[in-house]
Amino acid sequence: MRSGSRYGLLALGAALVIAYPWLAPNTYLLYAGVLTVMYAVLATSWNLLGGFTGYVSLGHSAFFGLGAYGTGLLVTKADWPWIPALLVSALVVAVFAGLVGVAAVRVRGASFVIVSIALVSMMNLLVQGWRSLTGGSTGLRVPTPFRELNRGESHLVFFYLFLVLLVLALLTWWVISRSRFGSGLKAIREDEDKAESLGVPTTAFKVVAYGLSALFVALAGGLYALWFRSLDPIFVFSILVGSYMVLMSLLGGVRHLFGPLLGALIVAPAGEYFLVALGESQIHLTATGVLLVLVVMFMPEGIIPAVAKLVRRFRPPEASIREETAEQRSKEAVA
Amino acid sequence: MTSSLRTEGLTKSFGGVTAVDGASIEVLPGKINGLIGPNGSGKTTFFNLVTGMIRADSGRVLYGDREITRYSPHRIAHAGLGRTFQLCRIFPRMTVMENMLVAVRRTRLRELLAGSHDKAEVERARHWLRRVGIDHLESAEGRNLSYGQQKLLELAAVFMGDPELVLLDEPAGGVNPALIERIVTLVRTLNEEGRTFLVVEHNMDMVMGMCDHVIVFDRGAPIAAGTPEVVRNDPRVLEAYLGV
Repeated sequence: MRSGSRYGLLALGAALVIAYPWLAPNTYLLYAGVLTVMYAVLATSWNLLGGFTGYVSLGHSAFFGLGAYGTGLLVTKADWPWIPALLVSALVVAVFAGLVGVAAVRVRGASFVIVSIALVSMMNLLVQGWRSLTGGSTGLRVPTPFRELNRGESHLVFFYLFLVLLVLALLTWWVISRSRFGSGLKAIREDEDKAESLGVPTTAFKVVAYGLSALFVALAGGLYALWFRSLDPIFVFSILVGSYMVLMSLLGGVRHLFGPLLGALIVAPAGEYFLVALGESQIHLTATGVLLVLVVMFMPEGIIPAVAKLVRRFRPPEASIREETAEQRSKEAVA
Repeated sequence: MTSSLRTEGLTKSFGGVTAVDGASIEVLPGKINGLIGPNGSGKTTFFNLVTGMIRADSGRVLYGDREITRYSPHRIAHAGLGRTFQLCRIFPRMTVMENMLVAVRRTRLRELLAGSHDKAEVERARHWLRRVGIDHLESAEGRNLSYGQQKLLELAAVFMGDPELVLLDEPAGGVNPALIERIVTLVRTLNEEGRTFLVVEHNMDMVMGMCDHVIVFDRGAPIAAGTPEVVRNDPRVLEAYLGV
């Protein structure tokens, strides 16, 4: 795609997203929009670790839950204004993630996945067990920072707050992908030992990526607490939320800036549709599992690379590398 | 003159098998050093110990005036040791240029957050790609290169780290004779420019023709060292290789 039409498409998409709250015909669809943008933030943030380094964390909801509870507790128990509560909570979670990361990223592959699941399970148990502070399994109620607004207006405000966070997460991904730091992270994904032998401090790079990823997830968790006003530990610390981040990223394409966003735009509304159409049945979980299997089987690279491949198929073929080499050699021979 | 590499009593066991058994060697600075030995004699394990890929059970690795035994691989790379692998390893889903720009020489935050396509670094990368003869492939993905081209890319990428001492693990493995000649010429030229080499290789013609100093390993320890002529006539070497 030419860069002009690419930017045009991007501008059109951005305009549609910005206008969405005004186009949504009812409060429920506005709520679904907020949820979708929140998942887009979560998936894009997850991709700061998973996409760059190839470390698949199924337990990123630990940072979502901690961000949510941190913000909620600072607002309810310490009477902090919501903005400092949100920022401080997310920073503390990022530092915590960095410390956990020092140990967690020492293991790779399936072992790392298990460690990440263990983390979210431990956080869930901790929050549920610390009843005097967190309210235990009954959850935590968080007062809204916008008391003067009605439900619809509140959704509108949080839609834009999540959107700002999404833009920040996308910008961060974009900056990293063009930096030497990003180059090192991608090398870790390809061959960690090789990257280390070329001087890449792989542990430090992974820990920073882990902390940065957790920071954005915690910010989303904090906004969720202020928006939703009621925290259920079973939901905020669920492996399902972590799995959604992975699924959305894989579906769109983990190697692409907009891959997780695209995945969120498909999976989050689909999940809501299944909930509305089929009620409280667990069919949306089955659908999620089926989608994950289909993606892994037929589009392991995600939608964006699959579409790009399809577009390339209709273009005139390019000379292969070996043909170029042969051509060059024949030129050299003539010279 | 580059720093010298020495090992003292380097030992590594895997379960009941001692792969490297009290190896003490000295790599001559400014020379092309060869490391030979029968299959399973511990050459690659020795490479991995020296470059920090695996931890030694005992013994020391000294580079210049520093002990680097417990250094992590990236610190060893920063100290000036570069290496290639027995089975060629590149980053297959990254372009040739991206492969070249991975090497990290400095770890200041500002430098790490700087653009990966810094003009000076790109020029350095092109310089090395030209020297190994694959500069026309800079936009190609690593996985689309032939095996020989991948070997050359691996070699070029190592030099982006500006190493003083380069450890090459079977550089001629699986490549055609013309390419072997090209690699030999390159190693000689780079050596004349002041870099030290330690080369593990099974191709005896290559080792004997290219190296100034040869170390022979058998059962995890050096059994002979010297010029190719000396080593070739050493009865212990003949016994290790031919069982005579």
